[in-house]
Amino acid sequence: MSEQPTVTLTIDGKALSAHKGTTVYQAATRAGIEIPIFCYHDRMPPLGACRMCLVKVEKQPKLQTSCTLEAADGMVVYTDTPEVKAGQEAILEFLLINHPLDCPICDKGGECPLQDQTYKFGPGRSRFVEAKRDFAKPVSLGPALVLDRERCILCWRCVRFGEIIAGDDALKGFERGFSSEINTPFTLPVQSKFIGNTIAICPVGALTAKSYRFISRPWDNRPVQSTCTLCGVGCAVEFDVRGERITRTRAREHPAVNDIWLCDLGFFGHAFVDHTDRLRRPLMRREGGFVETTWDEALSQIASRLGRTSGPRVAMLGGARLTNEDAYVATRFFRAVVGTPHLDHRVDARPQSPDLAVSWGMGTAIADLALADCVVLIGCDITETYPVLWLRMKQATERGATIIAVTPKALEIQRFVRWQFLHRSGQGGAVMLALADAVRGTAPREAPQGIDRTALAAAAKALGSASRPVVMIGRTALDAPDGWQMLAASGEMCRKTGTELNVMRGKGNAFGATAAGLLPDVAPGGRALADAASELRQAWGSLTTEAGMTAPEILDAAVAGGLDVLFVIGADLANDVPDRERWRAARARLPFLVVQDAFLTETAQMADVVLPALVAAEKDGTVTSIEGRVQRVRAAVSGPGDARGDWAILAALAARLGKTIAYSGWEEIFNEMRGLIPGLGIDERLPVRHPPLGKPSEPERPASAAGGFPLILIPGEALFDRGVLTSRSPTIADLAGEPWAMLHPDDAGTIDAADGEPVVITSARGSVAVRARISPVVLPGHVFLPRGYDAAPVNTLIDVNEPVTFVQVRALAPAAPS
Amino acid sequence: MPESFLLKYISEPDQADLETYLSRGGYAGLRRALSIAPEAVIDEVDKSGLRGRGGAGFPTGRKWRFIPKDPAITRYLVVNADEGEPGTFKDRTLMEGDPHQLIEGIIISSYAIGARHAFIYLRREFSTARDALTGAIAQARSAGYLGRNILRSGYDLEIVLATGAGAYMAGEETALLESLEGRRAMPRLKPPFYPAVKGLYMQPTAVNNVETLCHVTWIFAKGYQWYKAQGTPILISVSGHVARPGVYEVPLATTIRKVIELAGGVRGGRKFKACFPGGSSSAILPEAYLDTPMDYDALPKVDVPGTMLGSAALIVMDETACMVEIIGRTVEFYRDESCGKCTPCREGTVWLGQVFHRMLHGQGRTEDLDLLSGIAKGMTGTCFCPLGESVPPSLNASLRFFRHEYEHHIRTGRCDVREKYAA
Repeated sequence: MSEQPTVTLTIDGKALSAHKGTTVYQAATRAGIEIPIFCYHDRMPPLGACRMCLVKVEKQPKLQTSCTLEAADGMVVYTDTPEVKAGQEAILEFLLINHPLDCPICDKGGECPLQDQTYKFGPGRSRFVEAKRDFAKPVSLGPALVLDRERCILCWRCVRFGEIIAGDDALKGFERGFSSEINTPFTLPVQSKFIGNTIAICPVGALTAKSYRFISRPWDNRPVQSTCTLCGVGCAVEFDVRGERITRTRAREHPAVNDIWLCDLGFFGHAFVDHTDRLRRPLMRREGGFVETTWDEALSQIASRLGRTSGPRVAMLGGARLTNEDAYVATRFFRAVVGTPHLDHRVDARPQSPDLAVSWGMGTAIADLALADCVVLIGCDITETYPVLWLRMKQATERGATIIAVTPKALEIQRFVRWQFLHRSGQGGAVMLALADAVRGTAPREAPQGIDRTALAAAAKALGSASRPVVMIGRTALDAPDGWQMLAASGEMCRKTGTELNVMRGKGNAFGATAAGLLPDVAPGGRALADAASELRQAWGSLTTEAGMTAPEILDAAVAGGLDVLFVIGADLANDVPDRERWRAARARLPFLVVQDAFLTETAQMADVVLPALVAAEKDGTVTSIEGRVQRVRAAVSGPGDARGDWAILAALAARLGKTIAYSGWEEIFNEMRGLIPGLGIDERLPVRHPPLGKPSEPERPASAAGGFPLILIPGEALFDRGVLTSRSPTIADLAGEPWAMLHPDDAGTIDAADGEPVVITSARGSVAVRARISPVVLPGHVFLPRGYDAAPVNTLIDVNEPVTFVQVRALAPAAPS
Repeated sequence: MPESFLLKYISEPDQADLETYLSRGGYAGLRRALSIAPEAVIDEVDKSGLRGRGGAGFPTGRKWRFIPKDPAITRYLVVNADEGEPGTFKDRTLMEGDPHQLIEGIIISSYAIGARHAFIYLRREFSTARDALTGAIAQARSAGYLGRNILRSGYDLEIVLATGAGAYMAGEETALLESLEGRRAMPRLKPPFYPAVKGLYMQPTAVNNVETLCHVTWIFAKGYQWYKAQGTPILISVSGHVARPGVYEVPLATTIRKVIELAGGVRGGRKFKACFPGGSSSAILPEAYLDTPMDYDALPKVDVPGTMLGSAALIVMDETACMVEIIGRTVEFYRDESCGKCTPCREGTVWLGQVFHRMLHGQGRTEDLDLLSGIAKGMTGTCFCPLGESVPPSLNASLRFFRHEYEHHIRTGRCDVREKYAA
């Protein structure tokens, strides 16, 4: 890196040197000289609107705004002359004339830049005797956000956040001058996945969170530094705790992960933690219903049932919601105490799909996404799955990066996607093969119908000439009927461009579960079981080092009557497995089901024993993000009733079984893991281990529609849904709304479905009722149905033996004649 | 006084017709300009001494020289036809009466800077001008003065006529560019967004006023020597209490008194009281300054801060005008037109408006005089752009020259001027 040229300037008599291009404000701040400021935010270019950061510069007749003034050699700057003071006081007086000064009832009071700077720099009195501006208040701007217009000082930070950082243009300025107001375009509810950030950067209490209004004062909050586990990005968060309640979640700065941002799932998705539905006592099935019981009795019953079977007739599913330490102890418990190799956290994997053949996770560092010059998204809806990663990609697009998307539904970020290849179900592989061919320099084979060959060639050219390409494959591609082909072509594309394939798969701590060994065929640290056997034996005593069954195979075994006991830990199989009918069949043949969870999930409702578990915000330990980064979680609150941490539950159960699993706390487990998992360390990244990929094969022909089911179902992801946790976080449930499905206008026309009206989607397997959304972002003949809505579970429609799910859609009430 | 030329044919009913325009020597200057190198065109404009007529008075040739010469870089010419400064109506007069004069100037200027697209940003309210320009552009295009290979010179140009949405702010060149790009008319930060470097769509852009470009037409029609010999003509919009309001073409540096005389003097034999010499953004001047030359340099030199030639709009007020009411009305104009971007302009104009409203409704307080100058002080040198900075000068001047009128309002709650002349 070449040496950056520097300039030398003097601020308040202090000689400073600064990189060329830094502003006077930045130079002063770095030297510890405070200049008050409102509109400037260091993640965005200067605006110069609030005029608060005035300074005096020698030889300049007027005061200058230090946020817009580039530091120059020999510049002599003063931040505290009487002239500067007068300027600052004038601006503060202007800002305050119409500010309500309702600080005692304002959520921002106590952490408000306007309040703080008024105390420090303000005139201390006002000459304003007129009536203050008055508005009807507050204005609701959607499920999460509230605007108190009279508090707004029009710094434009929130508007610019949407333009510059998120690219969603969620908020805009309306009217002019003194009448200017922040609002949403067309006054619709806010359309954003990142609106919580605008609350965080609002320098006054104009934008506040519905979920936090009048809930707490900043000084009553106890901040607990932790990590968000809701998607897998692993954003650094701070839980603000008052008494025994998390009052709000805020972003904590982490330069390598989330910078200073969060998505709205992170901001508002932790409300479930203190939901009254939390399980507080163990439950046992008695006479067809559940009764509350003691830990003693519940554990005894499980131990006695385990005593009547052999290890290999026991299996465990779940684990992505556990901490690393929980997952590790679970691995130990099942392999060494129960003696079964049948454990797998990949409960949502489709049988026979490449889901099970690849290692989930990103080799590319999250921070490096901003430096990419070409990003290829293959069946990966980034904003719906790992939203904060989009903010990095947005930065890359600002630098001129090209985004190529190969998806069956146009991405929400399509404005920034240079080449969007919207393909029919089962044709993604053909598109990828054509694209990979073109990157190789060979003439692309025939592009699938509806895909522009010129565009393919141009996209391939951009990719081929990229020096920092990033390729991501997501669940939609891996689960597609031609998933193997998509995977192989993606792998081929990566080989050609000298980059690695990022498998954008796994929620929560899926990466940590993998690393901790919650897989049937590898040991902790991703090592071969045979290689790790002696070390494991040393740490755990005797254990089984056989390869066990994968999650789909475990279900098959249960259906075939091959299992006696199934443990489900931190997973809702009824909704998570790809095919609900198989789960039902499996449960019907299962003699004994243990569910360890925070809520009485649909799966738990079918259990024999339910054990109340803590959630991540109640635990100390570590989790691992999709980029393999190991980060701390800290117990913000202690959890409801008798709920216990997962590893502690398993340790207690081990004791019932006459085995000892004894750890003093998460640190001891973590230290033991460090001996077995190479590279494990706080804030270190664990590598993704890639098994070799298959070769591209010729495209399969998509199955043809069965009679009466003319449309193809595309299951997909939505960031906001209504699942076990999200339906119990009110803001998220509101953002998600009722279950919905996306239909092309042509298909909607055929069945007389109107936007927002109820429709019933039926397959040979079952049916769900949802509200229709009508949009050309899906192709005709396809229905997009998001997973995660427990009231309209996609898996009731799917038969995993069929590569494609055909459905029919009926309008529940015919559209009114217009 | 030399013969006027910018306005020479303005009242001829058929001047907007291409044939007539040609018969009166139109587009001859364009032919000449296209026959010489663009650089030579800029040289000639330099030598003519032409300065921008939009308000800032920046030398036009020098402005064009900031535009990079690299032919690989897309450049634009933007015509500021958003004439909005109160009291200014010269550009409208030019566009309505002689649209080809402007179009010819646009083509010559675009050629000089190497622009292939010129945009006219026209004030939405000017529907007559819009019709005239639309017709003239179509005529010029079909006659080969616009489009591909103009007059077989190999030079291509298209003119796009765009209209604003009614914001005074859009007259500021960077706010105009924002609006032209489809956003709120709010000024851009300079640096880095000097239009000549990062202008329309972030490309180098020359933004010129309508009258300026009409001057270019004449410089090429007659040569810069002839042009200079005319004594640097300027259009002055004269309005207010004069006998014959209108646009007058006079040599630069004609005194205010002389211009008022040209406009028939103060109407009804009344006594002159004050004037805005350069639109409402220039500080008002009382009678003692009537012999000041209307020129870029002389006006700012008088001892009334903030007075200037501006858009050369002379607004004359006679003895029947209440200065408190006049300044209060001016403040309201800036309050309503403030874009809302920066604090002092947005909040200061509202506050001033409230104080004036109170004063004019018999609720003035003695301390309001200090308050008014205090608010004005807070707005001076702190605003983002000239809009907010335009308010304090006239306010301060009125407090200096007509303080007694304020005091009378405060003391009695009534207006002595109004009462005196009400009958």
